[in-house]
Amino acid sequence: MNPAIQFPQIAIRIIREQELVIGPLAWDEARKVEGLQIIDEKKGEIIFKDEDQKTVINKLVAQYERIFGRASHAVCHDAVIDLIKNMSPEEIPSSLK
Amino acid sequence: MPDIDENNVISPSEFKKVTEELYKRNLELVNLYKKVDTLNQELGVANTNLQDLMKQRESLVHLVTHKVKGSFTRSKYIFAGILDGTFGEISPIIKKYAEQGLESDNMGIETVDLVLNADNLQKGTIKYDMQKINFREITEKVVEEKRIPIEGKGLKLEMNILDGAYETIGDAIWLKEVVNNLLENSFKYTKEGKISVTLMNIDKKIRLEIKDTGIGITDEDKKNLFTEGGRGKESVKVNVDSTGYGLYTVKLIIETHQGKVWAESEGAGTGSTFIVELPIA
Repeated sequence: MNPAIQFPQIAIRIIREQELVIGPLAWDEARKVEGLQIIDEKKGEIIFKDEDQKTVINKLVAQYERIFGRASHAVCHDAVIDLIKNMSPEEIPSSLK
Repeated sequence: MPDIDENNVISPSEFKKVTEELYKRNLELVNLYKKVDTLNQELGVANTNLQDLMKQRESLVHLVTHKVKGSFTRSKYIFAGILDGTFGEISPIIKKYAEQGLESDNMGIETVDLVLNADNLQKGTIKYDMQKINFREITEKVVEEKRIPIEGKGLKLEMNILDGAYETIGDAIWLKEVVNNLLENSFKYTKEGKISVTLMNIDKKIRLEIKDTGIGITDEDKKNLFTEGGRGKESVKVNVDSTGYGLYTVKLIIETHQGKVWAESEGAGTGSTFIVELPIA
């Protein structure tokens, strides 16, 4: 799959899974991530700014982990397991390996 | 998890600990919710499958019973025609076989009707004509109709009606079917002795008791007595044609009339008592 489509999907999946646990706070925390812009929460539309997309994903995972600890890291990983299984190791953001 | 006092400021490390702990608890809830959701979906699929199966079963019951009933009815008229001379004079041996054939067809039609009725009662497709009726009159009528075959078998038939109120709200045809079915049951399963029919009022209810000196009911058979297709081990030996739908039909009818039906017996060989209770109107 085209990484330009894949990384936004990964980010959305992570935010939605966090939303299940912590509610709308998941979107508030995602807004704080540099390089990520939330367009529409309901539709799940986001865009990556110029920054490296893998780095943005790592920052998103770290944002949740910083506040909610290791358990939130595992949630991020489990949420995207099916999306990353066909990616080559170098494509996978380090936080999700 | 540490206690939180809203009036006290907690340290950043304590705050983080509390936040992480809350996150874990929320996560546990989310995981539980997901499991419940999965189970609900599975249950939904199972429910849909069960509904489909029940619809298939219903249409199969109707198809088979109507076909079978049609076959019985056709051969019944052939036997009846033989017996009434439509096909000319017949020899005694043909008459004997035609009588047996006719009796067998009548039994077959009766059985099919029983299964069909039970199915329709279960589905709720039967419309009851609920009116104020006299249950005493229904009972007396059925008992008199059954007197000849019962006494012809050498059994004694007693009827004891105590003073009381016997009016109830119900469908006379279906309540007659109940009394008929229970009395027929006692008749079939009693080789010798007597059948007593008692009508009384107990606890502001109409109570019908049909007591016999027949084969009785074991504890094991009691469990299946009023279930769909439920046949007792002993009863099958006595009545090989038992369908297991008679008492089930009785139960469905009585429950629709806000009543109760049950059986009492000390066990095999001790006779049985079938009891029906109906509300007084």
